[in-house]
Amino acid sequence: MLQYFVKRLAWLIPTLLGVLFFTFSLIYFLPGDPASTMLGPRATPEIIKALQARLGLDKPVWVSFGKYVWGIITKGDLGESVWSHQPIYSLLLQALPYTIILAASSMVIAIIIGMILGILASAHEGSVLDSIITGFSLIATSIPNFVAACLLLLFFSVFLKLFPVIGAGEKGNILSQLHHLILPSFSLAISWIGYIAYLIRSTMLEVLDSDYIMTAKSFGIPMRCIAYKYALKNAIKPVVAVIGLGLGTLLGGAVFVEVIFNRPGLGKTIADAVFARDIPVVQGGVLLTAFLYVLSNLVADLSYAYFDPRIQYK
Amino acid sequence: MVDNKKGNKYLLQILNSFKKKRYKQLKNIVRIFSIILKDRKGILGITIIVIIFCCAIFSPWIAPYDPYEQDIANRFAAPSLKHLLGTDNLGRDILSRIIYGARIAMTVSIGGVSIAVVVGVVLGCAAGYIGGVIDNVILWIADVIRAFPQIILILVLVAVLGPSIPNMIMVLAFTSMPQYARVARAETLSVKEEEYIFAVKSLGARTKRILLKHIIPNILPPVIILAGMDMAGMIMWEAGLSFLGLGVRPPTASWGIMLRNGYRYIRLSPWMIIWSSIAISMAMLGYSLFAESLRITLNPKESMEKQVGV
Repeated sequence: MLQYFVKRLAWLIPTLLGVLFFTFSLIYFLPGDPASTMLGPRATPEIIKALQARLGLDKPVWVSFGKYVWGIITKGDLGESVWSHQPIYSLLLQALPYTIILAASSMVIAIIIGMILGILASAHEGSVLDSIITGFSLIATSIPNFVAACLLLLFFSVFLKLFPVIGAGEKGNILSQLHHLILPSFSLAISWIGYIAYLIRSTMLEVLDSDYIMTAKSFGIPMRCIAYKYALKNAIKPVVAVIGLGLGTLLGGAVFVEVIFNRPGLGKTIADAVFARDIPVVQGGVLLTAFLYVLSNLVADLSYAYFDPRIQYK
Repeated sequence: MVDNKKGNKYLLQILNSFKKKRYKQLKNIVRIFSIILKDRKGILGITIIVIIFCCAIFSPWIAPYDPYEQDIANRFAAPSLKHLLGTDNLGRDILSRIIYGARIAMTVSIGGVSIAVVVGVVLGCAAGYIGGVIDNVILWIADVIRAFPQIILILVLVAVLGPSIPNMIMVLAFTSMPQYARVARAETLSVKEEEYIFAVKSLGARTKRILLKHIIPNILPPVIILAGMDMAGMIMWEAGLSFLGLGVRPPTASWGIMLRNGYRYIRLSPWMIIWSSIAISMAMLGYSLFAESLRITLNPKESMEKQVGV
């Protein structure tokens, strides 16, 4: 177990270095001269020169890469925005809570509803309810979050006028913020609801089929007790892995939902920077999401190994 | 001398039996399809895929109108007999645009998946077969790519390289290549140790032949399942990028652009959102159903593993 942990952690170092190098080199992917591409056709040579100096484009690649990495490791310095000159660090820090709240709330919704549906379906295997739930979960997994967001917006905000259309709610007013959170988190959650329901159903059925459940049955333990006390404990394992993986994926998937609902989160910050060609902000945002994603994957892997010790033999 | 001949004979026997097995594999493909066609989900999936392909290939003949023909007097029309699905913000026929949109979706998804499969399988085989430093380097590259949430990577790369269909295909292929490399590597590692590979090697077969004739056919089943699910993912990414304005350029008929227009004019007409959502979700559903029933057929024990991208 310990060996697996150490190995998994050691492999992180080269991966993170690669991630750093990739985000750093993003600016060199721009066609033509990066600084003049970013500033557009009306920039004067002096402004271009100044930006080149600020971004370290006038120095050799390795020197500026070294400086970039050193700045991040020692000071958490991600540079500053090309347009607003705000430090990127604080820009991202402002946006991060919105995205984390969104991702966490949609994960909670997905787990609660998905588990209820999955357990219901497995308890009534072969019934009409089961086929409805299975059908729903198959369709739900095929609905991308931006499609779900548009549809929810259309039905609940425009037709029924139940929810606000855009924004994240007034600052300090928790009720209004919650009100603004419901539609975005449901649109992120919907495909995960389907996925978790499907996962729980199939693992529950598999577990209910195993020998020790048969033994419990032959002892005359009531079915309800078996399902919740014995089977669910094992069926919940894959969900644990999904939580970690899902949180990371939701951080990325939040881009669409945040743009559609105009929430000032991390995804919206990245998307806005992309449209404004503010590459340093894009780099910072990408680096932060990648870092969070790697972290959540790590937690998922480790918790999975913890819950299911057989994993290390694979 | 005599022993050697006997040995060769033995090896040839193994090889022959292997050849027969491969013939059986061909039969298996036919069998797989007949099993899929017995499965209700599989039938549904294949039907949807066939419909989309027909739309994409025969769009000029199927579509009732020119998808670019504007009729400003008749914008935001509700579905009627004249325009079965209504008209959009420029009075263009939505049905025709949905049908033409299948072309973009198919081009991008097939292009992206096939490049990703080829590059991923080649890299994965090389990593698994050669091992050592090359294995580590390829694994490292794959892990670095997978360290980013896929959508963030796609978004940023497309934005930096410039939005166009070829760029979109390349970026999608680049971001989904690692999963094929991983599968191919794992399968190569397990197949590499099989006895028949040893037999072929001692008969003097070259590495290229071993890889092409003996290892790759074994890798294909899991890769095909992955590719089926990836098709759904690529359709989603294409629509998503076009929705954000980073994919196909506006006059072109694409499901993502229709959704974008629907979102923009959400208070004026619900139809653009509804129809383009149905098109995107149906296409994705078709491929996931197909992949799912393929998985059940090829590997009954495994359940749905990796489905949701976002």
